[in-house]
Amino acid sequence: MAADTGPADSGRGAPRTLAEELRTRPDDALATLLRARPDLLSPVPNDLTQLATRAGTRASVVRAVERLDRFALQTAEALAVAPDPCPYETLRDLMTGTGEESGPPVEAPLPAASRAHIAAELPRAVATLRGQALVWGGDDRLRLVRTARELLAPSATAPSPTGLGPTVHEAASGMSPGRLQELLAAAGLPPTHDPVTALAALAGLFADRARMAALLAQAPEGAHAVLAKLVWGPPYGEVSVASPTPPVAWLLDRGLLLPSGPRNVVLPREVALRLRGGRAHRAPEPLPPPLPPAAEHRPEAVDSTAAGQAFTAPATVEELMGQWESAPPQVLRAGGLSVRDLKRTAAVLDVTEQIAAFWIELAYAAGLLASDGETDERFAPTPAYDEWLRLAPEERWAGLVSAWLTATRTAGLVGGRDAKGRTLAALGPDLDRSPAPEVRRRLLTLLATLPAGASADIDGLLARLRWERPPHRSAAPAVPAPSGPAGASGSSSASGAGSVSGSGPSSVSGYGSGSGSGSGSGDDLRSRLARWTLAEAELLGITGRAALSSHGRALLGLPPEGPSPKGTETTAEQPTTPAETATATAKAARMLAPLLPEPLDHVLLQADLTAVAPGPLQRPLAAMLGVLAEVESKGGATVYRFTPASVRRALDAGRTADDLHTFLAAHSRTPVPQPLAYLIDDVARKHGHLRIGAASAYLRCDDDALLAEILADRRSAALRLRRLAPTVLASQAPPDALLDGLRAMGYAPAAESAEGDVLITRAEARRTPPRTAPTPVPDGPPRPDTTLLGAAVRAIRAGDLAATAPHKPVPAAAGAATDGAGAATGASGRLPRTTSADTLATMQAAALTGSAVWIGYVNADGAASQRVIAPVRVEGGFVTAYDHTADEVRTYPLHRITGVAELADEAG
Amino acid sequence: MNGPLIVQSDKTLLLEVDHEQADACRRAIAPFAELERAPEHIHTYRVTPLGLWNARAAGHDAEQVVDALVEYSRYPVPHALLVDVAETMARYGRLRLLKHPTHGLVLETSDRPVLEEILRSKRIQPLVGARIDPDTVVVHPSERGQIKQTLLKLGWPAEDLAGYVDGEAHPIELHEDGWALRPYQKQAVEGFWHGGSGVVVLPCGAGKTLVGAGAMATAKSTTLILVTNTVSARQWKHELVRRTSLTEDEVGEYSGTKKEIRPVTIATYQVLTTKRKGIYPHLELFDSRDWGLIVYDEVHLLPAPVFKFTADLQARRRLGLTATLVREDGRESDVFSLIGPKRFDAPWKEIEAQGYIAPADCVEVRVNLTETERLAYATAEPEEKYRYCATTDSKRRITEALVARHRGQQTLVIGQYIDQLDELGEHLDAPVIKGETTNAQREKLFDAFRQGELSVLVVSKVANFSIDLPEATVAIQVSGTFGSRQEEAQRLGRVLRPKADGHPAVFYSVVARDTIDQDFAAHRQRFLAEQGYAYRIVDANELLADEGT
Repeated sequence: MAADTGPADSGRGAPRTLAEELRTRPDDALATLLRARPDLLSPVPNDLTQLATRAGTRASVVRAVERLDRFALQTAEALAVAPDPCPYETLRDLMTGTGEESGPPVEAPLPAASRAHIAAELPRAVATLRGQALVWGGDDRLRLVRTARELLAPSATAPSPTGLGPTVHEAASGMSPGRLQELLAAAGLPPTHDPVTALAALAGLFADRARMAALLAQAPEGAHAVLAKLVWGPPYGEVSVASPTPPVAWLLDRGLLLPSGPRNVVLPREVALRLRGGRAHRAPEPLPPPLPPAAEHRPEAVDSTAAGQAFTAPATVEELMGQWESAPPQVLRAGGLSVRDLKRTAAVLDVTEQIAAFWIELAYAAGLLASDGETDERFAPTPAYDEWLRLAPEERWAGLVSAWLTATRTAGLVGGRDAKGRTLAALGPDLDRSPAPEVRRRLLTLLATLPAGASADIDGLLARLRWERPPHRSAAPAVPAPSGPAGASGSSSASGAGSVSGSGPSSVSGYGSGSGSGSGSGDDLRSRLARWTLAEAELLGITGRAALSSHGRALLGLPPEGPSPKGTETTAEQPTTPAETATATAKAARMLAPLLPEPLDHVLLQADLTAVAPGPLQRPLAAMLGVLAEVESKGGATVYRFTPASVRRALDAGRTADDLHTFLAAHSRTPVPQPLAYLIDDVARKHGHLRIGAASAYLRCDDDALLAEILADRRSAALRLRRLAPTVLASQAPPDALLDGLRAMGYAPAAESAEGDVLITRAEARRTPPRTAPTPVPDGPPRPDTTLLGAAVRAIRAGDLAATAPHKPVPAAAGAATDGAGAATGASGRLPRTTSADTLATMQAAALTGSAVWIGYVNADGAASQRVIAPVRVEGGFVTAYDHTADEVRTYPLHRITGVAELADEAG
Repeated sequence: MNGPLIVQSDKTLLLEVDHEQADACRRAIAPFAELERAPEHIHTYRVTPLGLWNARAAGHDAEQVVDALVEYSRYPVPHALLVDVAETMARYGRLRLLKHPTHGLVLETSDRPVLEEILRSKRIQPLVGARIDPDTVVVHPSERGQIKQTLLKLGWPAEDLAGYVDGEAHPIELHEDGWALRPYQKQAVEGFWHGGSGVVVLPCGAGKTLVGAGAMATAKSTTLILVTNTVSARQWKHELVRRTSLTEDEVGEYSGTKKEIRPVTIATYQVLTTKRKGIYPHLELFDSRDWGLIVYDEVHLLPAPVFKFTADLQARRRLGLTATLVREDGRESDVFSLIGPKRFDAPWKEIEAQGYIAPADCVEVRVNLTETERLAYATAEPEEKYRYCATTDSKRRITEALVARHRGQQTLVIGQYIDQLDELGEHLDAPVIKGETTNAQREKLFDAFRQGELSVLVVSKVANFSIDLPEATVAIQVSGTFGSRQEEAQRLGRVLRPKADGHPAVFYSVVARDTIDQDFAAHRQRFLAEQGYAYRIVDANELLADEGT
């Protein structure tokens, strides 16, 4: 590493560690930090030292870095290749470039406009990083947290998104002093005494604009092409180091390229930066990509389209449940719904399987359906469904959308395959995707930034989402594939170097996607989630014609009109508490209500035996028509067709022909057509004349022979039947016993209710026992609310005070330090004892400074020992350290370390 | 928000006919939506890919379609449907059939992946030849129809820009003295001519022959007319000679008895599909002249082999005529792809309202069978059941009563079963026309009927089509070909020619109650019910009681 730390040279008063800096921050800044990184809060840290330690753990830093927007990430990446600490001006130069001349090998500087944008946006990016405790220190000495630096800095195994290689120091570390002196000589520098000064001289040369220009001017033909190929990364090229082509040899001789293996060379970071005009990124993206409206519709048209769909959505769920309550599908052994059942459901709903899966998952997320938990396990509506049915249409909609917004289950995955190649089943396991709620909300919020009635281009939205949360590291290089320069250099490298290949196989992977709004790069999870969100929001009627509706806006808790403030901080302003969400949902439902069509109380009857309901029907009317006729077509209106079978079904349900005539006459706007009247009468005439009434129970039948037969049957004795009239029998047995008895005898009687209706004997509508909806599986701990944050900050402060104020030297550490010298002799029994927090903090500090510490250690057999180790890395509850006692690198579980003490002096 | 149209998610459109905007809406959606049902209050249209592509072919674009839907719709149109419309229409025209100056017929694409996709289809491969360039492939000229049909099935309809051959010119004029083409007939001719080829759907009695004549007068070229039977062929000839400048000598008949080939030749389907030793000997008729126009009468009856011949005739203009494009074999789409899309369609009730076809009173007479008949019916073999209940004595008695009731009016009794008809003929003292009746005899009887010398005629299904009985005012159907919808429509068509005194026609269908006959009747009536003909059901007993008083 370049000129490192040394606490001595920092001014008095400037914080020396992250913990110290955190101590100086006001409470609300700490609250911001904890809100942005809620994982630091579980459990609540004891003091700021512990907070700082935890903020520096790899897992937490990875999580925080993944949540940075693209420009903040680029800034962090630049810091990772900058000297540590790094003055703000240096950082700015890395982002904007130094804006010097551009020669043939040196890239043209960025246009002035974009440099201005970068300069304007950089403070925000730094503030973001600082707020997240990824960067600390004043503007004169910005320091990237060590773990983040390791994460983002280029290394041989993980090329940096900046495309920069290692520094001269790192790249030339294994080189012999003699070779170094040769490099100096070739580069025209005076010889030096030792390798350190030699490398410094070389680095100095590379950083010097004028001398470098002079040096490069002498380069032979082809050398520039080789450099151009490597300059934007990846910085490794494949050549034969033993017998390089002349341009490569020239570059190698002067240290402009350094060997990094028997067949590879690397472009040192200083050289690359010089050639790039000082820029760490080829294409810094200081501003989020703009979100141009794709199409503008009248807001009323959007609202009414959305309302139409918002009306259809609960109706579709109801249809689904109506299907499943009578024929509940089986739960697969591995969980979930079989493909065949999904297909069948899709056919019933007349949608694609993908959309059917969405409705099913939606009902599940809303707690309206669940597995019944019986031995023969089946999915069926829950009791909550019956309550939901009783709600007003807009409330039913609200129930669905609020479940959708927070659900982590993603129906879009259904039908795909998991990592092991198994098909993901609807309602099955492994459908939870933690980012889903956040992506849904964010996408809708982005739509809300457009003028009312405007829809957005999907690519624009995806680009914006990718900017705000760049996809995983390997897929997010800010540097496009080096096709442009490579194309120009292709011929020369073919003739010259021959085999200078731009990249090793390992680094190719991420480069296909490029940066910005590449069309092919929509395959990361968040982009897929975004696509599904758009489709689902349309299905739910949150958007209409791909534009956010006004009730959709209300659903997000946004003001009715006017774009919300742009920028990335909007995430912090979302309604977070369930109460706020509920209020917003209720408001959305209220706005939706007047847009929903009013249920009608009439239909139009036609001579071709159809009835058309020119709009949604009142529930009782729809229920009755659903029995009396077959639904032929659905949508805004419903077309029913009367068939003999459907009329018979109505008669089976206990209606008489007269009932039906009256019903139709009452609800038809037009005279009942004669063929329909005939149809009903014809069917009714054939429908039979059996009627049952009750004494305790009665049995009646027009056929007295049948009754005689029943009476004569010895098996009927238990039913205690008595003939009332030629066609009526009365029974002392209760009706169900009578029914069972007669059925057992092979008859098919039907029961009547007290009013004379035949009791509908269709299969029982299935219900599960009460079930709760699946809880979302969020990514990481829940976002803490203000109260919790305040309490946490106070607790940390108090703990911190207790830990730091009363004593300066930790007594245990002091004692241990005095014993340190004797420890090597094997004096046992007095292991250092410190609290685990102190142990961790000391280890962290030692890892940072690279100093050795003395520890007490209990091995797996319970044997205690003392060791002197130099910690290299502290993470995941383990310390990786060079063990001076054993003279090798070992890993120690932190919980086995009884205590730690600094060494009085170097014991190495 | 109060339009006349309701767009359903299954792509049917419901049009409220009493709405004030209904007419405007009908005009707006007619180019792309098929009228499916036209009962009294709500008409049902259906948006199909075929319809959308036809609209594209006629020069409408997706924007117009979407606008029409959105403008007249009462409820918000499902967004998915609009997207689907746009996507479906965008599929049309990616492939075009063109005439290439050196390679002849070629298939060209503006979207290379589509061409790649379809060239990989096993069904396309035998139809195409060499690839000229990445976007163009040669098509065997004889496969023009086949490839269009196949592409349609693959969902990438080709725009056929290869044009038509003019054929051998022959002067034909309409003799419009004392009569003129009716407005809808003119529209039909224009619609057909503008589209190049296609099908015209008009109700029976609405003058389809004149549409054919009009098309011939527009084409002014040699014409091949394909009709269902010889009687029909004679009537076409008679009508053409009367209405156009053609003379007897210019019109030839190509049938079982005569084999004349003239500038205008009328051939029967039967002779064309006669097969000897595995070949169709009369096929050369298609090549015997350079026909400029081919007319298919009663296209819904087009026999399967003719489809195949037609596929080879894609360079010639084709006109299909029918009253009911309902094929019980479901080959409507073959008609569309081989003859051409529907170019003109008018609801029956609309033509009736204009006075060009007679209003008809459709009555279903329900006959109660006697106890013995019911018992016999109940015990009959399943395959004999329909025949039995359709031919019962009860039906014969009510038929006689109906004939008696309309004494003095020209009455047709139509049936399926010859022995039943013979029996009826005997009882009614009326001649019977059936399959074995010679053509000469038929024409003689028809003529007598026309002249009023005969007032009752009993006919079998040979008279289903294309016989011109101008003054039949009453038709009594005693039995039919099971549940055939188009047969019912054709039979109603027998009485729809406008009457001199504006007298409404009466169509009786005598049905045995509570039998399979009733079920078939319900099915047969469906087409007409959907065209707005509301059947009145009358109880035979009441009818007889009326007679008594």
